[in-house]
Amino acid sequence: MKKQAVPAAGPVTSGSKEIKIYSRRTRVVRENLELWSFIIPAAALIILFNYAPMYGIIIAFQNYFPGSDFFSERTVWVGLKHFIDFAKSEYFTRVVGNSITLSLLNLMFGFWLPIIFALILNEIRNLKFKKFVQTASYLPYFISNVVVAGMAISFCQPTGLVNIILEVFGIQAKSWLDIPDKFPMIYTIINVWKSFGFNSVLYFSTISAIDPSLYESARIDGGNRWHQCWHITLPGLKSIIAIQFILALGGILNANSDLIILIYNPATYETADVIGSYTYREGITNGKYSYTTAVGLFMSAIGFTLTFIANKVSNWLTGFGLW
Amino acid sequence: MAKNPNKIREGNIAFDVLFYALAVFFAFITLYPMYYVLILSLSNPNAAASMRVFWWPKGFFLDGYKNIVTDRNLWLSYRNSIFYAGACCVFMLITCSMCAYPLTSRALRGRKYLTFFLLIPMYFNGGIIPSFLMIQKLGLYNTPWAVILPGSVSIWYIILFRSFFRTIGESLREAAMIDGANHYRVFFNLFMPNSKAILAVIALYTIIGQWNSWFQALIYLPDTYWQPLQLYLRRLLILQNASLESVMNLSAEALEEMAKEQLSNNQLKYTVIFISTLPMLVAYPFFQKYFVKGVMLGSLKE
Repeated sequence: MKKQAVPAAGPVTSGSKEIKIYSRRTRVVRENLELWSFIIPAAALIILFNYAPMYGIIIAFQNYFPGSDFFSERTVWVGLKHFIDFAKSEYFTRVVGNSITLSLLNLMFGFWLPIIFALILNEIRNLKFKKFVQTASYLPYFISNVVVAGMAISFCQPTGLVNIILEVFGIQAKSWLDIPDKFPMIYTIINVWKSFGFNSVLYFSTISAIDPSLYESARIDGGNRWHQCWHITLPGLKSIIAIQFILALGGILNANSDLIILIYNPATYETADVIGSYTYREGITNGKYSYTTAVGLFMSAIGFTLTFIANKVSNWLTGFGLW
Repeated sequence: MAKNPNKIREGNIAFDVLFYALAVFFAFITLYPMYYVLILSLSNPNAAASMRVFWWPKGFFLDGYKNIVTDRNLWLSYRNSIFYAGACCVFMLITCSMCAYPLTSRALRGRKYLTFFLLIPMYFNGGIIPSFLMIQKLGLYNTPWAVILPGSVSIWYIILFRSFFRTIGESLREAAMIDGANHYRVFFNLFMPNSKAILAVIALYTIIGQWNSWFQALIYLPDTYWQPLQLYLRRLLILQNASLESVMNLSAEALEEMAKEQLSNNQLKYTVIFISTLPMLVAYPFFQKYFVKGVMLGSLKE
């Protein structure tokens, strides 16, 4: 071991403790024990709340009763019965269909808006004003779903803001959130309103990273604003747009059930019910433990496959992905 | 052309006007619904009932606020929310930063298995019922721990910490180790003081996330004594709202009567919305820059 000739820098000082000489192997073992001990708190929680529930998936293949053990002589094994029941039921097409419809609508409007918003703000020269609009646009993202849902519900009532505005156009007041046909639209508006600003952050930062000399040379060549946007800004955003789009397609089954459970009601189940809300109702409210676990497993297997494929495609096309 | 550096993008004035108008439109759309909630909560109930309150409060009326602030359940749930957010924040910072530290050390053996261990739960989970059963088996059902413990670790945040720790650099650590420091000292005396930025980001993410979450509490905390603010709001804003199907076949007078009642009810709701969102609105200008920072960190790819 070297002598401590060099004084220690910064807050870490060696002290005058005698340094023992260990074999290389002992040192590696000691250091690794130290390093692995850092992981214990996080690993304990992950095992308890992420891995242990995975073991509980076993009840998808039995008729589980609350309070009984996963394995006992009284356990009734039913194999794939619950999966087949779900696949055959009318709920399968309904919840899968609704999840896809709502996600596609969200993609159709919610995907492009942040890009367009970023491009528009990029053209604003007054920095203070730009900053203000930008900051305001993130705000809804931080308001809780419960509050947003509460606002939406009272705005959509016959006496609410939506009807007051629509009255100007001669549209009769209605309780909009009780009309099944309108649910997808209302859900999309709320979702887009809540997230477009925050989703644009990524585009803002990408635009600001584009080399300014590109714009300089474009201007020298006589390019106007439109040319600069089309030939420099958009190509600069190309790969990030591609990644975002592919990953959004991979998550097509993940409708925002946290919000849906708050704004739907029995009148709109036919267009509003998605996988998350269905499993919540059947599992927690109606106590069908085994059946809902099967439904959840079935859907998360499909969801995982989609995410996996999307990621592979993204890696292949753009060289970037989730992992 | 290059005389005025601010006049970078040449173009006609019509485009400028268009872009500013669009920007104003976006800002209006995001802010107006919240502003509307505020002015209705302050207006005189009669003015509010006339449905002609758009730009500023008509009359000044604080009874809604008086009614709400005397509700014991509001303050109870407020306290619970603060407690959950604070506890989760502290635990989250400890567990995630500690778990990320070894991931950046070259000396770590078996990193492959650890990465795998962390990667699997990001894409696969047991689902709502098995998690629920687990909470019950652990005896956490209907205790604050049912919300706090699962909210005290996040693999995503571990990855954010790891990305940040990488920027601190291996050489600094190695220098300290040569000087005889062990990993605990390196972590607490060298890494933590240099990680204030990421600690702030994760703390804010955790607090806001916990403050806004309600679903876990709905499942695990049936007792109102432990329920957070969001569930109190849910009871008031959403459950009180009986389905309005029956309204469709009512006479005009009955409808009007009902509309009035609904409006005063709405006013109460607007008041609650405003009271519960106020801390967020006040803190927002200060923390929003950290969120942007967090998004940047999150988009770091290897």
